[in-house]
Amino acid sequence: MTDPTTTTDESVAQEVHGGHAEGEQSMRGLYVTIFLTLAILTVFEVYIPSVYSAAWSGTTKMLLLCFLALSKAALVATYFMHLKWEKPWLRWIALMPVYMGFAVILILLETMYR
Amino acid sequence: MDSGHVAAADHAAPQTSLPEDPHFGHATGGKVGMWIFIAQDGMSFGGLLFAYGILRGSAASWPVPTEILGIPLTALATFILICSSLSMVFAVAAAQERDQAGLVRGLLVTIFGGLCFLGIQVWEYTHLVHAGIGLTQCSWEGEPVNSLFGSTFYAVTGFHGMHVTAGVIYLSCILRGALKGKYTQGGDSGSPVELVGLFWHFVDLVWILVFTFIYLL
Repeated sequence: MTDPTTTTDESVAQEVHGGHAEGEQSMRGLYVTIFLTLAILTVFEVYIPSVYSAAWSGTTKMLLLCFLALSKAALVATYFMHLKWEKPWLRWIALMPVYMGFAVILILLETMYR
Repeated sequence: MDSGHVAAADHAAPQTSLPEDPHFGHATGGKVGMWIFIAQDGMSFGGLLFAYGILRGSAASWPVPTEILGIPLTALATFILICSSLSMVFAVAAAQERDQAGLVRGLLVTIFGGLCFLGIQVWEYTHLVHAGIGLTQCSWEGEPVNSLFGSTFYAVTGFHGMHVTAGVIYLSCILRGALKGKYTQGGDSGSPVELVGLFWHFVDLVWILVFTFIYLL
């Protein structure tokens, strides 16, 4: 999607103004879609430990749960917190704590191979 | 570029009366400040989860969380928090559309969701304490378990619970202003709603990670 901060051209601005109601509806639709995706992924998350058995390795379960959690967190940050439409500097600030997440995953992985 | 996409982007990050900054666009100082706060707060949570991982990894024994913690109830709390994020994002949209009724409705639903989450957490803590999971001493079904399980559980979820409490208070303050019509006057007037929205979504985002790392793994 084009960065909105670059849409300063007058003709584009008029286009924005004319399509604002449509944009509001499309944004609400997008929010509902993200909400439903989060809800469905949560159901998967809760289901995974309950079906965990010897047939599944602990690594698979852990990686799957970490992937689902990080995907959900990314969806919230990208769409609900509007990072998708922000300038890169604000995105870099938001990414600062991510390295802690990687550290946590590394520890969990190390634990499994002990 | 179709008008719908442009309008959608405009709706998500509205043009403000502020001049365009080459690095932060039209973001207000408050918004940049809130993001810096969120980043450092995220590192606080990261530190707690990091410590949890180290303590759990180095422990001789560790109970299976899914056998002790009430996963269905916590999943319900997670769902409630996700619902409150949706109502929050609708409240932010309502402020940008100068829709006061929609803004008040969105804020009320979000506050209600936060209170439900806190109620569930209080109920969960009460149940766990009576079952033997204390802050410094832990037992389960009469058998002693590693006390670090309770310590780390209450430290992480308690820290998050305090954020939810702070969020509900913050939302209540914004609701007071919304009832007076302060945030639906156009221009940058809706900015405080966007800021409380960022904080609330952050609380939701953190819970998503806490739910997985503390409860499910």
